[in-house]
Amino acid sequence: MDLLKSMRISSSGLRANLKRTEAINSNIANAQTTRTAEGGPYRRKEVVFGSEPARDTFSEVLEGEIDAQAQEVHATEVVSVNEAPILKYDPTHPDANKEGYVAMPNINVMKEMADLISAQRAYEANIKTLGVTKGMAMKALEIGR
Amino acid sequence: MNVNDKTLQALAAAAKFREMRQEIISSNIANSEVPGYKSKRLDFEEALSRALDVDGELTMKMEDQKHFNVGNGGFNNLQPETYEDPNGIVSENGNTVDVQEEMALQAENKIMYDAIVQMMNKKLGLMKYVITSER
Repeated sequence: MDLLKSMRISSSGLRANLKRTEAINSNIANAQTTRTAEGGPYRRKEVVFGSEPARDTFSEVLEGEIDAQAQEVHATEVVSVNEAPILKYDPTHPDANKEGYVAMPNINVMKEMADLISAQRAYEANIKTLGVTKGMAMKALEIGR
Repeated sequence: MNVNDKTLQALAAAAKFREMRQEIISSNIANSEVPGYKSKRLDFEEALSRALDVDGELTMKMEDQKHFNVGNGGFNNLQPETYEDPNGIVSENGNTVDVQEEMALQAENKIMYDAIVQMMNKKLGLMKYVITSER
């Protein structure tokens, strides 16, 4: 059924944007982290979005062209961005090198906040869409009342 | 009174297309941040008006059941058209979705869908009235 599929598409948008928020939160929280499991300072995480046709069931796979157009969004992968760390002069820091420089994560908190707002807006748009679709489905139940 | 007339069929087809359009709009909004995604549009008005054929110019007259029903394809095999929005403004990551525009289209779609349901109810109410107003 079409409306249920619309709702599934919207919820895929919610899930993807939640994933993005998670990555941004991690970036902001680790803006000062100099030690990580893989060694070196924390590296900025970025979520990559990709779209694919919304096909869950076998019958949907068999359906026609219109269904190839309605696409779900997925957070396909989380990448650690390979950016050079910022060197900060702080000889007393335990992770400082011989010259007294500490490798700090290359994270711009302002940019992360801006990204967070954009993720929030995208999330809200998907919530709103979900609400409208739900309204349509509920209205359809009124036929013949 | 013809119970199986065009009105309900046309309304049902329109409702189905509105649901499809909702699906396309949901997809556009969900993919509004995907690099390279192109905004999609669904067009059904033309196909529907052709099937509805209000002025009767598109169908051939049938005077016998054996005549071919040319032009009057009915509402069952209507195919809406989907295409990438040619007027979309490409952003720096190649995405052409304008969330505000999608929201506006969605609001319009919802209103029209509600109107369709209301029309169905009116039509069904009329039939119900005819059925129950005996004696």
